[in-house]
Amino acid sequence: MTIPTMKSGARKATPRQAPATNKPHDVLIVGAGFAGLGAALRLQQEGVGDLVILERADDVGGTWRDNSYPGAACDIPSNLYSFSFAPNPDWSRSFAGSREILDYVHHLADHYNLRQLVRFGRDVSHLRYDDKTGLWTAVTQTGETFQARSVVMAQGPLSNASFPDIPGLDEFKGHKIHSARWDHDYDFNRKRVAVIGTGASGVQIVPELVKKVDKLTVFQRTPGWVMPRPDFATPQWNKLLFRRVPKAQESVRRALYLAHESMALGIIWNSPLTGLLERVSEAHLNHQVKDAWMRRQLKPDFRIGCKRVLMSSDYYPALQRDNCRLITWPIARLCENGIRTAEGIEHQFDCIVFATGFDVSNNGTPFKVTGSKGRDLDTDWKRGAQAYKSINVAGYPNLFITFGPNSGPGHNSALVYMESQIEYLVKAVKMMTSEGIKSLDVRKDVQRRHNHDIQKRLAKTNWNSGCKSWYLTEDGFNATMFPGFASQYARQMEGFDPGDYRVVRVAGRPQ
Amino acid sequence: MATIDLDNMLAKIKASQWALADIDWEAPGAEMISEAQWPKLKAFMSDLMWIEHVGARGFAAMAKKAPTDTLREIYTYFHAEEQRHANAEMALMRRWGMLEGEELPEPNINLRLTIEWLDRYSDDMPLEVLGSVIPMLEIALDGALLKFLLDEVNDPLCHQVFEKINADEARHLGVDFHVMEMLGRGRLHQLAVKTIGTVVSPKLIMGVLAYAPLLNRMRDNIVEMGLKEERLYEAMDKYQRIGGRTKEGRRNPWFQIISQHGRMVVDRSHIYHKPVDALVKLSNYIPRRALGPVPSWVKELTWRPTA
Repeated sequence: MTIPTMKSGARKATPRQAPATNKPHDVLIVGAGFAGLGAALRLQQEGVGDLVILERADDVGGTWRDNSYPGAACDIPSNLYSFSFAPNPDWSRSFAGSREILDYVHHLADHYNLRQLVRFGRDVSHLRYDDKTGLWTAVTQTGETFQARSVVMAQGPLSNASFPDIPGLDEFKGHKIHSARWDHDYDFNRKRVAVIGTGASGVQIVPELVKKVDKLTVFQRTPGWVMPRPDFATPQWNKLLFRRVPKAQESVRRALYLAHESMALGIIWNSPLTGLLERVSEAHLNHQVKDAWMRRQLKPDFRIGCKRVLMSSDYYPALQRDNCRLITWPIARLCENGIRTAEGIEHQFDCIVFATGFDVSNNGTPFKVTGSKGRDLDTDWKRGAQAYKSINVAGYPNLFITFGPNSGPGHNSALVYMESQIEYLVKAVKMMTSEGIKSLDVRKDVQRRHNHDIQKRLAKTNWNSGCKSWYLTEDGFNATMFPGFASQYARQMEGFDPGDYRVVRVAGRPQ
Repeated sequence: MATIDLDNMLAKIKASQWALADIDWEAPGAEMISEAQWPKLKAFMSDLMWIEHVGARGFAAMAKKAPTDTLREIYTYFHAEEQRHANAEMALMRRWGMLEGEELPEPNINLRLTIEWLDRYSDDMPLEVLGSVIPMLEIALDGALLKFLLDEVNDPLCHQVFEKINADEARHLGVDFHVMEMLGRGRLHQLAVKTIGTVVSPKLIMGVLAYAPLLNRMRDNIVEMGLKEERLYEAMDKYQRIGGRTKEGRRNPWFQIISQHGRMVVDRSHIYHKPVDALVKLSNYIPRRALGPVPSWVKELTWRPTA
């Protein structure tokens, strides 16, 4: 893989080992996935050199390290699902698989010497701010501490996965696998296997697993809208072209970006395009599934866009294979030998695969975060997470969150949003280091006004149109999605206005 | 108004799930079915099991129309539970030697026509229609038939199974009547206009042509099996009593239509029976081929406790 270019005018990354002493770092980053590494890279390029990244696993890669199930892939084209400041001309397919995306992350880490900044096996359990010193302390599960002026919480919204709360979960004596913690040693040959969940992971796992097992049973609770996925291998000439003429790849990326932006009109808001997208998805279903009852089972009852739109051209054919069966009866419980459904039948399996997604913290934090004057972020977010421009939270100075509240895209590449967040935090941190700022805390009134506007705009979107999804809390509060185009989000993140913040400078520094 | 808390009801439904595997289908008692009873019981169980399935398909359609997530989930469970009843009844038939191999009991032609109609049109019917008709089918046919079964059959396992089925049905009827009352709220003229709009729909007229002969056919079958038809009428009367106990229930135009129809059904001297009995006879001449293959959801029926 080649990642040839650096952002023009940027300083070449200087590899520096994070000091092992307890001297406070400029920036501490939690998580070595796309966001953590991207932030580290851009901070380095902009001259903020004293960084440390705390990673709970023993490798970089985040969600793409964890999601290695068969068929795992991104449902955004690879040319858009990559950093604009680190393009990869060698993507092998239009929609790369997880392995190739992980290779890209690895290459990013190696090419820019980011690995040496990472302290692996450090699982942060507590982040604590000290008003007196203006420093953050990260405490790990083992009690180790790290201090820094600023913290970037880049652990990601989709990083914790657990088995769903189904009665009898522990009674099942067979093998249990979670899609985000795949067991590569398990032999699926001649096995009776169940897949619970038909979301983004489920529709990718089923077509692969059905080829390997004796009998596959898919348990669906709510069918999603499925769009065809135009996945094809990249011809050699294309790779050559991108390598020799980077502008060509930039143009393709731009075209893909604009195509996805136009989808917002149908996916985010209810417009004539919404109906058109539903017709396309229905035509895809009708074309691939001939049986009327099965079509009925697979047809969603909610408006497209309300939940994540699924992309697959081989999911419906897989469901119709002789060794595959779709079950839409509610699951009553798990038992020793399998799954009992409400129609009274016990479906017996050797292995159950849980493609049930992640524990999204819509109104909580993944670990304890104590801000200014001892305030607790989990408590502050109990009634729904709120932040300013998704990245800062009032009362938590010098803390930056990637994919914080209301930053989620429903129609475009997450990496486009991530880049805007990274650029924003880079501006803030640069200002802090150059001007000797001790604490930068967003004003409460500014944050309140921002959220009032966001929630007003969200009320008009498809996400808030009545379906249950992981975008919403149990009470229906949307703390996840950004109600607009990616370009609007980028514009929101473009301007960093110090006037929105309470700024406290280091004593003795000129104001 | 006798309202029920649907969230509590959903929790209760989830906590009351049972499976065919909970029952020992080999337990003694199967021999208590007499030779004289056997052929009648076989026909009776076939009808019963298919009526459960009519209810199942009705609830599947209602789940799509439910105005709230909770009610949608309740109907999804009810759909599955009616299927469970049909599965359990097939397992009883299997126990009594009434099914060979993978054989599926044959529905009578009027049930078959009703299934056909439900499969084609029920998803297009408003909740008001299904929410008022399905309770009648449940209370009249299911109720009357189950009572008869428990009076006539001594096999203790049969009683054990129907105790479970009855507990489910009690919850179904609770929700059914709650929804019927819910549908009776709103301005009377709006309810009337909406009703008239539906009544004149050709799809509904076809539904009536399937439903009316089904009731008369079931009445004839009940009489043939030695059950007093009054049992059926008592059950139909119960629909009117419970459905009409509140103002909201009585304001539901579909309750009024179905109750009025019920009064005609129980009056054997009513002119209504002439054309409907003729339709029953006529339906005997419909060739099975004309109906095409059974819908694929029928294939999900099974007497096997495990799959």
